[in-house]
Amino acid sequence: MKETSFFRLQHRYAPYLFVSPFLFLFSVFGVYPIFKSLQLSLYITNGPRDHVFVGLGNFQFLLRDPDFHTAVWNTIVFALCSVFLQLPLSLGLAILLSQKWLKGRAFFRLAFFCPQLVGQAFVAVLFGVLFVPKFGLINQTLFSVFGIPDDTKWLQNPSLVMPALVLTSLWMYVGFNMIYFLAALQGVDLELYEAAKVDGANSRQQFFAVTLPGIRPVAVFVLVTATIGSFQLFELPYILLNNSAGPNKSGLTLVMYLFQTGFVTGDLGYASAVGWTLAIGVLVISLIQMRITGAWKGENA
Amino acid sequence: MPSFPYGKAAFSFVIMALISGLFVTFHRVESRKTTLTMWTFAETHYAAYRKAIPSFEAAHPGVTVKVEHVNGQAVTSRLQAAFHANLNVPDVVEVEISSAGSFFRGPLEHVGFLDLTDRVKQSGLWDKMIQARFAPYMTHGRIFGLPHDVHPVMLACRRDLLEKAGVDMNRIETWDDFIKIGRKVTIPGKQYLLELSDSGTDNIEVMLFQRGGGYFDPQGKCSFDNEIAVQTMLFYVPLVAGKDKIGSTLGANQILTQAVEQGYMLCLFAPDWRTKGLEQDIPRMSGNMALMPLPALKPGGLRTSTWGGTMLGITKKSEHPDLAWELAQHLYLDKPQLAERFRDTNILPCLREAWNQAAFQEPRPYWSNQKLGAMYAELAPQVPFQYSSPYIVTAKAKFGEALVSCVQYYNANGESGFEEYARKRLKQSANEVRNLSARNPYQ
Repeated sequence: MKETSFFRLQHRYAPYLFVSPFLFLFSVFGVYPIFKSLQLSLYITNGPRDHVFVGLGNFQFLLRDPDFHTAVWNTIVFALCSVFLQLPLSLGLAILLSQKWLKGRAFFRLAFFCPQLVGQAFVAVLFGVLFVPKFGLINQTLFSVFGIPDDTKWLQNPSLVMPALVLTSLWMYVGFNMIYFLAALQGVDLELYEAAKVDGANSRQQFFAVTLPGIRPVAVFVLVTATIGSFQLFELPYILLNNSAGPNKSGLTLVMYLFQTGFVTGDLGYASAVGWTLAIGVLVISLIQMRITGAWKGENA
Repeated sequence: MPSFPYGKAAFSFVIMALISGLFVTFHRVESRKTTLTMWTFAETHYAAYRKAIPSFEAAHPGVTVKVEHVNGQAVTSRLQAAFHANLNVPDVVEVEISSAGSFFRGPLEHVGFLDLTDRVKQSGLWDKMIQARFAPYMTHGRIFGLPHDVHPVMLACRRDLLEKAGVDMNRIETWDDFIKIGRKVTIPGKQYLLELSDSGTDNIEVMLFQRGGGYFDPQGKCSFDNEIAVQTMLFYVPLVAGKDKIGSTLGANQILTQAVEQGYMLCLFAPDWRTKGLEQDIPRMSGNMALMPLPALKPGGLRTSTWGGTMLGITKKSEHPDLAWELAQHLYLDKPQLAERFRDTNILPCLREAWNQAAFQEPRPYWSNQKLGAMYAELAPQVPFQYSSPYIVTAKAKFGEALVSCVQYYNANGESGFEEYARKRLKQSANEVRNLSARNPYQ
């Protein structure tokens, strides 16, 4: 086929033409909102129409806003629980389910992963029923097994709201992260274990000297994504606590606060300031995590 | 002719995309009829309006009314977003009382609802309806919503269990009388006299309004740290905390059903709308339930309060505001319809003239043959005012925080230093609301 100049041009520009819908949509719905929100964070707004320039006033107000402080504290507590409870449990489960002597491993893997398939909204509704005082399954079980009063108000008592959230998120995410660890464990060279055994290493030493270094890239990835996910927590508490922040704002997270200020109070400017603070915070924490774990230096990462 | 260089499949996609794009761009659906769209968040309202619409359409040939049932939160968020973005909105919207204030945050001229002040005053509705009910839907002296209801509050009680315990409901006049009985019949962890929350504001709010208090004063200034609020807190907390508490709650919906059926709580605050919920959700209690006016603070005092409410607003973007106003009047002021709707919903309408009809005088077997309509109508004129603000949602949350803190303090320390703590905590919460509202440049 003889190529005309039109088709020669096509060969040159067609790739750009094909990626242009993505670029256009990404610019409109991705890049523009980012810069718009940065601009908005310098205004007090009532929706996008009415706005008054306040410079860094929104960020200054954040520093003395008790609700923002509560949201930061709750989010950090939740993130710490995710890192120090969820990930060790996921890893433990993964190690257990990678043991060849365990029968029905495939079934257990599926069973632990399943909660992830149904989504946060469903899980929140489900646990909302399970946590009901007097008649809920959790209270009835705690009463019949441990004699704990069955009118324990998990979602009405400020000191029990966070444990309830953590418990719910554990049910949902332990199995999910377990899958990553399972995949990583399968990639660890078995000869290293044999060599360690020959050198007289016990199980604990094998875990710290062989397993952990072997799965470090995946562990860093899970650590960073779990932390970012924790800082983005919204649907779970929002639905579980009946569209509220819970008693004494005990379930208020940063994203929930962002939503409330932006879409309940109507101040998109202040919500943008909260959003940018959150984004910068998550970025800094992720960088620290990567630095601590050595992922930055490219050591196996 | 050269072929398309990326194959026939890609060529077909390009052609289809072009055709569908052109169709969507240039195709216009012409509407030959006038259509009024209405959003309501309450299922009971939706069912009632569907019944009422045919007569309106018959009286207005060529007009179609489309009533849509939209989730309450979605009404607020979608409507606010649409107002802000200047998008299409329904002509008529019902908004729940606790979110109505959030529509009044910006400059008065940017409120998305039509100013109904002149229409209300000229049509005489201001005098025909309970004026207190306009207050939550007003800002800067202008009316933006027509009140749907009065929502006086009584106590709904398990008459059978109270009688079994030797309690004569008719002899209860004051809260002191009531609390004395509460101390007698309450069995911690098993049975409480009254449904009262130690973390939510719905119940304490009823008592706050009964005392003449509120979250905001008539000028829209935060007022829930004034003496009335402090006294309400001092009165309420010992009812839900400490060893002598007489109130508790387990939850709503099915949980409430079980709690009432099993006698976990013997009485609960019952605004008119809630009585229908109880009838539908706990039909087995028919004949065992009875209503009584709220106990007064002192003999001869106010025997009611208010809980909940709905306003009807006409959006500024409506192309048919006069027709929408006619629809509003048809739905809210047509007496025979209001009577029928009362039978369906138990909700007392705001129009005083409607209360004389037979439907409001009928004995109700569920409520031990009490005349539910007449009882609520008798209390309706005394329903206290409640004032709103764009910060009403925040104020409720902050008042709730103060309540939770006071309950925690009382559980730990009892009466010792409680009054001072409650004052301080309420002031702290109210100041947080003031700090937030002080940032609003549109006040």
